[in-house]
Amino acid sequence: MSATQGDVKSLQAQDAPDAPKSVKRAPPPETSQAIYTRFKVIAAFWAVIIFLGFPIWWKTTSIYRAHLPIQDMLEWANGKTCRPVFPLEIHLMTPTMQLPESQHLLRTTQHALDDLNEFAAHHLRLKLVNDSSALNVEQREKASGTDAEEADIALTVRVLSQDDLPAPRSYLHAETTQLDIFYPPNQAPIPSSSNPPLSVFIAQELQQLYWEEKATIAHVLSGETGNLDSISPQLAESISRRFRRSMKYADTYHLSFSLFTPGSAPSSWDIEAAVQEYLAPLLNEFASISNFTIDTQVQLYASFSPMAPSPVFEETEAAWTLQKEDLSAFINAAEWPLNPSIGSGPTLNFILYVPSPSQSPLVVKENHASSWIVPQWGGVFLLNPPLSSDSTNPSHLSKDSLRPAFMTFSHQLLTLLGTPTTPSSLPLRLQALVRVRAASLLLSASSTMGSLARLTESLPSIPIPATVASSVSDTLSHLSAACTHMKHGRFSAALANARIAEIEAERSFFEKSMVGQVYFPDEHKIAVYLPLLGPIGVPLIVGLMKELKRIVATLKARRANAA
Amino acid sequence: MSDVPFILALQPRTSHGLGAQTKLRHEVMTVLSLFSLLWACIVFLWSAPAFASSDYHEQLFLQPFPQSSLLASFNFRSNTSQASFDNQHFRYFPRALGQILQHANTKELHLRFTTGRWDADSWGPRPWNGSKEGGTGVELWAWIDAPNDDEAFAKWITLTQSLSGLFCASLNFVDSTKTTRPVVSFEPTGDHPESSNLHLLHGALPGEVVCTENLTPFLKLLPCKGKTGISTLFDGHKLFDAAWQSMSVDVRPICTRQGDCTIQIEQTVDMVLDIERSKRPRSNPIPRPVPNEQLVCDTSKPYNSEDTCYPLEKVTEKDWSLSEVFGRPLNGICPLADSDGSAEYPVCIRVPHERGIFYTEGTKEFKLDDGFTRCFDLDPSKPFDLAIPEQPINIQAPLDEPILHAERTIVGHGQERGGMRIIFENPSPTAAVDFIYFESLPWFLRPYIHTLQATITGRDGLRREIPASDLVSETIFRPAIDRERGTQLELALSVPAASTVTLTYDFEKAILRYTEYPPDANRGFNVAPAVIRILNGVDSSPIYIRSTSLLLPLPTPDFSMPYNVIILTSTVIALGFGTIFNILVRRVVLVEEAEALGSQTIKGRILGKVLALRGKFGRKETKVE
Repeated sequence: MSATQGDVKSLQAQDAPDAPKSVKRAPPPETSQAIYTRFKVIAAFWAVIIFLGFPIWWKTTSIYRAHLPIQDMLEWANGKTCRPVFPLEIHLMTPTMQLPESQHLLRTTQHALDDLNEFAAHHLRLKLVNDSSALNVEQREKASGTDAEEADIALTVRVLSQDDLPAPRSYLHAETTQLDIFYPPNQAPIPSSSNPPLSVFIAQELQQLYWEEKATIAHVLSGETGNLDSISPQLAESISRRFRRSMKYADTYHLSFSLFTPGSAPSSWDIEAAVQEYLAPLLNEFASISNFTIDTQVQLYASFSPMAPSPVFEETEAAWTLQKEDLSAFINAAEWPLNPSIGSGPTLNFILYVPSPSQSPLVVKENHASSWIVPQWGGVFLLNPPLSSDSTNPSHLSKDSLRPAFMTFSHQLLTLLGTPTTPSSLPLRLQALVRVRAASLLLSASSTMGSLARLTESLPSIPIPATVASSVSDTLSHLSAACTHMKHGRFSAALANARIAEIEAERSFFEKSMVGQVYFPDEHKIAVYLPLLGPIGVPLIVGLMKELKRIVATLKARRANAA
Repeated sequence: MSDVPFILALQPRTSHGLGAQTKLRHEVMTVLSLFSLLWACIVFLWSAPAFASSDYHEQLFLQPFPQSSLLASFNFRSNTSQASFDNQHFRYFPRALGQILQHANTKELHLRFTTGRWDADSWGPRPWNGSKEGGTGVELWAWIDAPNDDEAFAKWITLTQSLSGLFCASLNFVDSTKTTRPVVSFEPTGDHPESSNLHLLHGALPGEVVCTENLTPFLKLLPCKGKTGISTLFDGHKLFDAAWQSMSVDVRPICTRQGDCTIQIEQTVDMVLDIERSKRPRSNPIPRPVPNEQLVCDTSKPYNSEDTCYPLEKVTEKDWSLSEVFGRPLNGICPLADSDGSAEYPVCIRVPHERGIFYTEGTKEFKLDDGFTRCFDLDPSKPFDLAIPEQPINIQAPLDEPILHAERTIVGHGQERGGMRIIFENPSPTAAVDFIYFESLPWFLRPYIHTLQATITGRDGLRREIPASDLVSETIFRPAIDRERGTQLELALSVPAASTVTLTYDFEKAILRYTEYPPDANRGFNVAPAVIRILNGVDSSPIYIRSTSLLLPLPTPDFSMPYNVIILTSTVIALGFGTIFNILVRRVVLVEEAEALGSQTIKGRILGKVLALRGKFGRKETKVE
C-alpha cells in the first residue's frame, strides 16, 4: 500500500503543472486471474446460449417438412416418366375363310392400318381368333376383365362372305362391340396379292371408327389438336368444346332432376317411371366408369330472376322466345333451390321448365330449340305441354309426356360426361371414354404432383406433414401402375389406378395443415419477445465484443513481442 | 269447399281404421287444452282418410288477446311416402332438408327458432301446448339412428353443420359442450320401428338472434314459397317485430299398423303481435302520443283537470285488419292444399260470434258451434282480407289458466359463486302437477347438487322449508366435464295443488382460459332455458313450458393482460440478469481510478472531443472581438 501511495504522489507531482485540479490515477493492471475469470464467465453465458438456448429455439420453432421425391414428381409432370400409349386389341374372326387366307388378311390389314395411322400413341393391333373360341366371345370378353394379364378387347371384327354384294359393306352393332364386314365371295383375299381391296376396306372402316377418339386423345395429350394434320377444324372445335362443357371425372355423380314451373301446375310428374324407363339403361352401361345417384324435386312458383330479361312474344312464330344470349340468366340461382347434393361427387342438374300458360309455348329465339346445356353444371329443357280447355297447364305430367325431355336429358348427360359423339355403338363410345378419362386423369394427377413439388420448393416456410409424403408416394405408385396397364392395353385397370392417383394427388395438394404458417408472422414473435431479448441481449453482446477486442489486442501484442 | 265437411265435423269419430283412431285421439288431446273449442274441426281433420291424395295442408289461426295483442298461428303440413323419400323423389317435401336427414341418419327432427317471451299471465297457455316452441334462440333435438353413441354424435355434428348452412343459423356451434342426451324430457312423436337404434340428442343456442335470414330459407321449404296462400302474410319486418314469435320445423315418420309409412313435415310459425305497433305504417314507425282530445280520462280523480289526466282503459276493442297488421292482404290460397276438396279451412279466427267481422267478397264463413270460432273458405283467385271494426267488448273468448307457472333466475353476488332459484306455481286449487324439469348447464357453471333445497308456500301463505326429496321423485344427473360437456339435470317433480315451490341450489363459476372468452365477455354467458314437460295423465301428450334464458356473469380478465405480463416479466428478468451479469463481468475500481479510466472509454473520448471543440470555438470568438 505504501508503495502505491508513493507512486500516486509522484504522479501528482508530475501532473501538477498541466492540470493542477484533476487528480487522476490509473488503476493497477488487472491480474491475469481476473481477466481469465471474466473470459470464463462470458464464455459460459455464450455457451449456454449457443449450445442450449439456440438448439431449443431451433427445435421448437422449426417446421416439419417430410421428404418428398421432388425429382420424380417433376419428371412425372414433365411427362418424362410415362408416355401414355393406347394399344387397342381388335379381334378378327373369319369364320368363312381358311386359316392361311385369314392370316394373310390379318397381315395385310394390319399393314394397311399402320400405313393409315399418323398418331403413334394410339394404334390398333389385330389378333386372329380361331373359330372355335369365336362363339363365346362374350364370355371371354368378360373373363378378360378379371384376368390382369390380358388386354381388354376393344372390338371384334367378324368378316363374313355374302353373296350378291357388289362391294364390301360393314355393319356396326349398336349394343355390342362387334363390327360385321360382309364381302362378296369374289373379293376373298388371295394370298399372293399384297394389297387386297378387302384389307384396305377393313382398315379404312377401323380408322373411321376410331377417328374421333384419336383426335380426342391427341387433344388431351397435347392440349391442342394441332399435331394431327388431317383433323378438320370442325372436329377439333367440337372436341375442345366438349372438353369445356364436360364435368371433371368423378367416381360418383349426383343427378338432380327438377321440375320448375312459375305457377301451381303441374305439381306432379311420373318421375320414377320415367327415370326407370328412359335413364336407367344408360346409367347401367355407365356402371363400369362411374356411379350415379338420382334425386328429383318439384318446385312450384319458381319465378325468373328480376335481373333476367323476360321472354318476348314473337308474332310470326306464335311463340314466346328467349334470346340465346339471355339463356345464361334463365336459371334464378338466388331463389331456385338447386344446392348441390350432400356427399362426395359433383351434382349434375337437369331442369324441366314448364312455362306458365300465359307464356306458352316458350322456345329459344334463334333456333327454336327447347333445350340447352349449361357447361359443367347441367341441362335445361323447356316443356310446353298442351294446355287444357280453360288454358291451364295439366296438373300431372305422364311418363309419355316426359319422354322428349328425358331423351334430351340422356343426350345432355352423355355430353356432360364427355362421351365422344361417334361411333354409333354406345359400348364403343364408353370404351373410348374410359381411355380418354384415364389419359386425362393421368395427366392431371401428374401435373398436380408437379405443382406440389414447385410449391414446396418455392415456399420454404410451409410445413409438409407425413401424410402428404405418403399421399405423394401413393400417387406415384398408382401413376406408374396406370401407365403400365395402359401400355398393355388394360384401360379399365388403368382408369381405376389413375382415379386413385388423382384422389391422392388432390388430397396431398389440398392438405389443410400446409397453410398454417400465415398466422404467426415473425414480426409478431419479435414484438412479443423483444422486451426480454433486448435488455438481456445488449449486455451480453457488449460483453462479448469487449472480450473479443481484448483477445485481439493480446494476440497483437504477443505477435509484436515475438517480432 | 262444400258444406259437407262442416256437417261431418259436427259428428266426429266416424268409423275409421283402428290404428288411425288411437293415433287420432292422441293428437286430438294435444290440441284440446288450447283450442279446446276447435276440436270438432280438428277431429275432422285427423279422421280424414289417413293418407289422402292431397298431402299438403295449411291453416292460419287468429286469436285476439286482451291489451291489443293478436296471436297468429300458421301451420303447414305435408306428407311424402317413405318409399319416395328413400328414393329421393321429393314433391312437397323439401329436397335440401330431405337429403340432410338421410345423410345424417336422422329419423325425427325438431328445430325451433324463438324470440321474445310468452306472457302467460295475459295470454294464457301456449299454442300447441308448447310442443311447437323452443327456448329463446335456436333449439334442436333429433333422433338419430346409429349403432353406438359415438357414431350418433358424429351424425349429429353432420346434421348441425348441414342445418346451419340450410337455415343460415349458427347451429354449427352446437358442439359437445352444448349437446345433451335427455332421458325422460322428450319422447319421439313419430312411429319408429322397434328394431331401430335411436339416439336422442339435444342442443340449444340461447344467444342466437333469430331474424329474417332464418325466415327466408324457412319459406323456401314451403311448396307455395310465400307466393300464394297464408304464407304470403310473412314479412320479416312484422314477424320479428312481434312480442313473441316461434318458428318450428318437425319431421317425423307416421306409420299405419300395416306398416305403410309416410314422412311428415310440419312447419309452424306462431307470433303474438302488438296490434297498435303493427298498424304503424312502415314509412312512419315512430309512436306518437294520443292527442289530448282523444284521451278518455277518469274524471273521478281529484287531480283531473285540463292538463292532468288519468287515462281509462278502453272499453272497446281496437279495430284491425289483416292487411293493416301484416302489411299486406292474404294472396289467395295455395292450390296444392285443396286438391280433393276435403282439406281444412285455410283461415280461422277465435272471437265471439256476435262480434262483427268484415271480409272479402266471395269468402264463405262457417261459424263453429262452440260460440267463438269461425272459419273462412277463401276464393282462390282473389286476395283475402279480414277486418274487425272497433266495437265494445261484451264477451271475451275465454282463456284457459296455464297449468303451471315457472320462473328461473340467477341469485347471489360476486365473481366466484352464485345460486339458481326456480319457482314453480301451481294455480289449480285441486290437482297436483307432475312434471319433468330439464336443465342443461354450461360446464363453466358448476352446480352443487347437494345444496338443492326446496321451500313450499301453501294455501296458508306460509313459507316452509322441506327436504327436496319430498318433491323430487327422480333425479337424473350427468356431471359436466370441463371443456367437453355440460351438466345435464333432469328432475321429476310434483307440485301440490295451490302452492308455490321454490328450488334453489348453489353453483360455482369457473374461470375460463384467455382464448375461451367471446369478444363481448362482459355481457355475460347465455345459459339455455330450462324445459318443463308436464305429465298430466297417461293418455294425453305432454305440455311443454320453457323458462327464459339466463345471462351468467363470469369473472372476466383484463384482456391486455398477456402483453402486460410479457413486458413486466421481461423487465424483471432483464433487471436481474443485467445485475448479475454486470457483477460477474465488470471490474471493480476506486472512484479516482474510474475517472482515470474514463478517458479511455467511449464516453470519455467523446467528452474530451466536445471539450476540445468548445475550446476552439471559444478562442475564435475572442479573436473576433
